Amino acid sequence: MNSFNSKKNQIILSQSFKKNWQKQFELDIKGNKYSQLEIFLGKWKLTCNDINYIINYCKRLNKTISNVFSSEPESIISASNLGLNTSLILEKNTRIERDLNIENSSNSKKAEVSIIFHQGTLHAGEIIEVESDILLIGDVNPGAIVRATGNIMIWGRLLGIAHAGKEGNHESKITALQLRPVQLRIADKIAKGPKEKPEEGLAEEAQIQGDVIVIKPARTR
Amino acid sequence: MTLDTRVILICSGKGGVGKTTLTANLGISLASKGSPTAVLDADFGLRNLDLLLGLENRIVYTAQEVLEEACRLDQALVKHKQEPNLSLLPAGNPRMLDWLKPEDMKKIIEMLSKEFKYVLIDCPAGVEDGFKNAVAASKEAIIVTNPEVSAVRDADRVIGLLNTHGIKPVQLVLNRVRPKMMETQEMLSIEDVTDILALPLLGLVLEDEQVIVSTNRGEPLTLIGSKSPAARCYSNIAGRLHGEEIPLIDPSKEGTSFRDKFRRLMQTKIF
Repeated sequence: MNSFNSKKNQIILSQSFKKNWQKQFELDIKGNKYSQLEIFLGKWKLTCNDINYIINYCKRLNKTISNVFSSEPESIISASNLGLNTSLILEKNTRIERDLNIENSSNSKKAEVSIIFHQGTLHAGEIIEVESDILLIGDVNPGAIVRATGNIMIWGRLLGIAHAGKEGNHESKITALQLRPVQLRIADKIAKGPKEKPEEGLAEEAQIQGDVIVIKPARTR
Repeated sequence: MTLDTRVILICSGKGGVGKTTLTANLGISLASKGSPTAVLDADFGLRNLDLLLGLENRIVYTAQEVLEEACRLDQALVKHKQEPNLSLLPAGNPRMLDWLKPEDMKKIIEMLSKEFKYVLIDCPAGVEDGFKNAVAASKEAIIVTNPEVSAVRDADRVIGLLNTHGIKPVQLVLNRVRPKMMETQEMLSIEDVTDILALPLLGLVLEDEQVIVSTNRGEPLTLIGSKSPAARCYSNIAGRLHGEEIPLIDPSKEGTSFRDKFRRLMQTKIF
């Protein structure tokens, strides 16, 4: 039942008290002196109702939630729907280390090359933002946005907006089984999506060539 | 007695696509199949489900009084004269929006669940508080949309929100379908819509002038036993919801038979 963290304004929902997590949560919040809280949801899948409950409880105690961290995209989407600041964090088992040569991850987590999986279609108004590569299994519907610091791969249709290399990585690529976005962004370059229908059954990828974003049939390297 | 009550939210995101009309017609159809059915107007700000059912002048108490315990539930329920299996629980006044909470909504639905087999919730447009209240109490949902880009976009947004609330199943009703415009590809096709929304199609409703007439009279099409295209569509949807197997109509074949042409001719003469 060790749910406290060393930093005092953080509340962590641990894995161990699944049944009456509300009680434990209330205890944690009551015992916390700070008025601004960061909440770590870990691998919990919480619905809007659950998160609403958390918000309301904090409100009653005059505390505000500054950020919600979770490794579960569903919880992130629930929380951001309710207007909270959210960040997707990496859990060890969802991370695939591509580069095995990295010795001792002493140089902070940012140096690791990692990828996040998200399963499920992104609906209009939903935003997913990651600090790594992302492999999305499902569609990105019009009105939805995917952002990643690295590459974006979509096993499905890209009909919304994708922003790869959002922190300025010009090498980033956007790949999708069907690439018909409203808008494509790679690093600081922006392009409108193609008007004409793509050939079926051909995955396509977009990358920066020279000064513009170019769409080509995807190739294995 | 425990009824396996089905609490169905009828929502769309965009306004004016036909949520209330569908709620009224489905309510009547389901009730006429013998299931006790309640329709709840969750659109507290702009209520008009009572108008469509022609029950406006019979409302005495509303959901508001029930919640304040100023009256009993059965006093507030307005029973439809011609279709006694159907009851309407009217919404309170628009000021109620300020204090109504999801818990209140749950309380109302719980009360209704004890007495009815179907509870249909007519959800307000938008995704703000009214929507959140309505969602909190529902178990399954029907999304109504028109074959228009804006309606489909809003429906998609609502689907995302319903997913995060854990509502299942969510089914789709495509309203105001114009077979001719679909054929000439001036309108989004059925495939275009189901492709993006990726929901099981519960039914199509054809565009029909009779809907406007019946709305203004306060007599839902399914009540007066109309044989107009939309009335057939509505009762098909109710049948499918009830578990019957009814094939989807093919819009390209609608209105081409001699009987349909004759009926249309007759209608244009009369009105």
